[in-house]
Amino acid sequence: MGEKFEPNIIGFLCNWCSYAGADLAGTSRIQYPPNLKVIRVMCSGRVNPIFVINALQQGADGVLIGGCHPGDCHYERGNYLARRRMAVLKKLLEYTGIDPNRVRMTWVSAAEGVKFAEVVKEVTEDIRKLGPMQHFKRENKW
Amino acid sequence: MVDNNQLKEAVKKTVSRDDVKYVVGYEKGTYGFQATPTFAYKPEDSKKFIFSPLCVHNLAVFPMLEEKPPLRKGQEPDTRKIGVVVKGCDSRAIVQIIQEKGLDRDKVVIIGIPCTGVVDPKKLEKMFPGHIKNAELKDEDNKFAVTVDGKTTKVSKDELMPDKCKTCEYPTPVLYDILIGKEIKSTKKEDYKKVNEFEKKPLKDKWEYWEKQFDKCIRCYACRNACPLCYCKECMVDQLNPQWVRRSVDLSENTAWNLLRAFHLAGRCISCGQCERSCPMDIPLMELNKKIEKEIREMFEYEAGVNAEEKPLLAMFKPDDPEEFIL
Amino acid sequence: MDTLLLSKKDLPKFITELIKKNKVFAPVENNGTIIFNQISKPDEMNLDSCKSEYPPKALIFNQTETLFKFTPGTKAKIESIDLDEKKVIFGIRPCDAKSVAILDHAFSDDFKDPYFIKKRENTVLVGLSCIKPEINCFCTSFDDDTPASSKYLDVLLTDIGDNYYVEVTNEKGKQLTKGMNQLLKPAKESDLKKKMEIEKKAVDMISRHQKTNGISEKLDKIFEHPMWKEIAFKCVGCGTCTYLCPTCHCFDIQDESTLTKGARIRVWDTCMNPEYTLHASGYNPRPARTNRVRNRIYHKYNYYPKNFDVIACVGCGRCIDLCPVNIDIIDVVTRAGEVKP
Repeated sequence: MGEKFEPNIIGFLCNWCSYAGADLAGTSRIQYPPNLKVIRVMCSGRVNPIFVINALQQGADGVLIGGCHPGDCHYERGNYLARRRMAVLKKLLEYTGIDPNRVRMTWVSAAEGVKFAEVVKEVTEDIRKLGPMQHFKRENKW
Repeated sequence: MVDNNQLKEAVKKTVSRDDVKYVVGYEKGTYGFQATPTFAYKPEDSKKFIFSPLCVHNLAVFPMLEEKPPLRKGQEPDTRKIGVVVKGCDSRAIVQIIQEKGLDRDKVVIIGIPCTGVVDPKKLEKMFPGHIKNAELKDEDNKFAVTVDGKTTKVSKDELMPDKCKTCEYPTPVLYDILIGKEIKSTKKEDYKKVNEFEKKPLKDKWEYWEKQFDKCIRCYACRNACPLCYCKECMVDQLNPQWVRRSVDLSENTAWNLLRAFHLAGRCISCGQCERSCPMDIPLMELNKKIEKEIREMFEYEAGVNAEEKPLLAMFKPDDPEEFIL
Repeated sequence: MDTLLLSKKDLPKFITELIKKNKVFAPVENNGTIIFNQISKPDEMNLDSCKSEYPPKALIFNQTETLFKFTPGTKAKIESIDLDEKKVIFGIRPCDAKSVAILDHAFSDDFKDPYFIKKRENTVLVGLSCIKPEINCFCTSFDDDTPASSKYLDVLLTDIGDNYYVEVTNEKGKQLTKGMNQLLKPAKESDLKKKMEIEKKAVDMISRHQKTNGISEKLDKIFEHPMWKEIAFKCVGCGTCTYLCPTCHCFDIQDESTLTKGARIRVWDTCMNPEYTLHASGYNPRPARTNRVRNRIYHKYNYYPKNFDVIACVGCGRCIDLCPVNIDIIDVVTRAGEVKP
């Protein structure tokens, strides 16, 4: 009785830093919750806010965007642009009544396997507390 | 009061230039209080141009609607300039497009009109409902003189002006080649009252409100097509491969569309209100755009459409941009 | 045709009777706009406004319509949709009812659209005459239409003071009003006179007219006239006119699916979009707004009359009310009639 709600979290991880960091967490056999489903993008700056909205529509309860630390972006400034974008997106989502804590961003470098696991743990627990995403999920009822 | 004769002269002079294709301005509409965009190709066409508080449309949408139809063999494309009549708020749209390199500065001839406020057509219809074939509206300092069927009523400006005019910070066009009249200094300040009020509500109430509004949407895309700053050759919502937003009309897709559009106008929307005016289902689109405008002012100290030399908001960054939300 | 009388205070009872046996759709107020929605009680209706912004054709020709459902995979299945739902649309205006009759032609020509035809059969139109037409209404410019015409309706109610004058025009209407002898009394000659007075008053209120005599033939001669460029130049291609027009019927068909199930759906489309005629090769036969605006006028006033003998415009005036740049179809067609070929 009382099955725990397992959130579905989509992670957009940048190829050079956060994806490699996630890889390192895996090869180091660090345990972290399996709720994150990873989509590799070349740079966090590639993430268009419509990806985030689309993920929430298709049933994701949360979205995590992982990028390189400021100054370390492989493409010089993609992470800076992503930082600006996500700041604006979170404010917009909050104004429409969607909890901005469902969309998270993190700087994880390729050597930070431990940090990556910590981040996933934290985000999973936060979104578990928020509950399933109901607001504008695709019904697919036709 | 804008001198209509001076406007007609300016338009005539501009159209007579060799390097100008046509000039876009306003003329009297076909019924009631309507004003409508009009075009002058020859100097004689300038006679029909008017400017009154009924001219609410943002004409900056027309330079971007220039089509390039296929040419005959040997035919050269027509690269002459376009003249546009703009109010203060409209000029910001042109400046923003120039800033984004959507348009070259020397492709437009801007005829600026210092504006003391226009009339919200919906408020006007509520106040003067019914059959109105011929009506006039004149600007008389702090009142509007509305003439319907020969009878004139004076109404205070506050009752008929849209909200954007009540907090207008740019009554004089920011960029112009010809100015009709004298520059007006702004006495008003944008206070984001409505946005601040709405922000105080709990998340649940906010969603309830927007859910009702997004449910009304019929995805006609009038907001996108009437907006001067929505000029992408292929809108993300028309993409089929991959399809980001489905064509079916339900709450999920409507929310995705409205959030997508509001976001893509972040740092670019100049709050002319054209989207809200064009929406046939009366969705308060400006509230979303105003919220983003307030946030970017606070977070990044940026205002859209003010400086043509500046870099666009989301194409640049500062090393100390806010990042308290980043783990 | 049966002519009956319904007392105004009995209208809620009449609606309740209808709701008992049918799904009833009526104009309701929805956050500042009027749309046709299902009602469960008569006081949910809002009959004050002249016309709804969103056309009632959406109840028969839905904006988003599932054609069939499918399950992808090696054991794929296709499931048809049940279209047997019976509907009553109450409070539809004579112009919107005519538009449904006009759409009948498009959907039962060389290909009989099963979805539209089935839904049309299962829908009964109970109309309400207009007693206060608005500034841009011009239904009287077509054939012998009036704001109180019962030609395209199954039942028509006209407000004649304390009562509604009820006209039941066909079998469908008779079936619907069977067993309502308590509420519907036979009408008298004087009631018909009152109705005709009200009708005349409404017709006189319509001040804007469009000359539609011979317009189809005239349009044949002025296809290349420069007036189309002038008219179309201020069009921003927003598509509002097409989405609100009760006779526009262009649609797109898309497949929507998840990994485990899906459906083929039909959605409204607009010819004002450049993508509407964009070929896969990249060629676009209607590349400019001039082509598209001209095409819309021709479709309504030239191609449709040539095929089906009726102008595909009912004179509701929604496009004029809501066009953001005041492109006025009354003005356009009048000019087309006057201009020299």
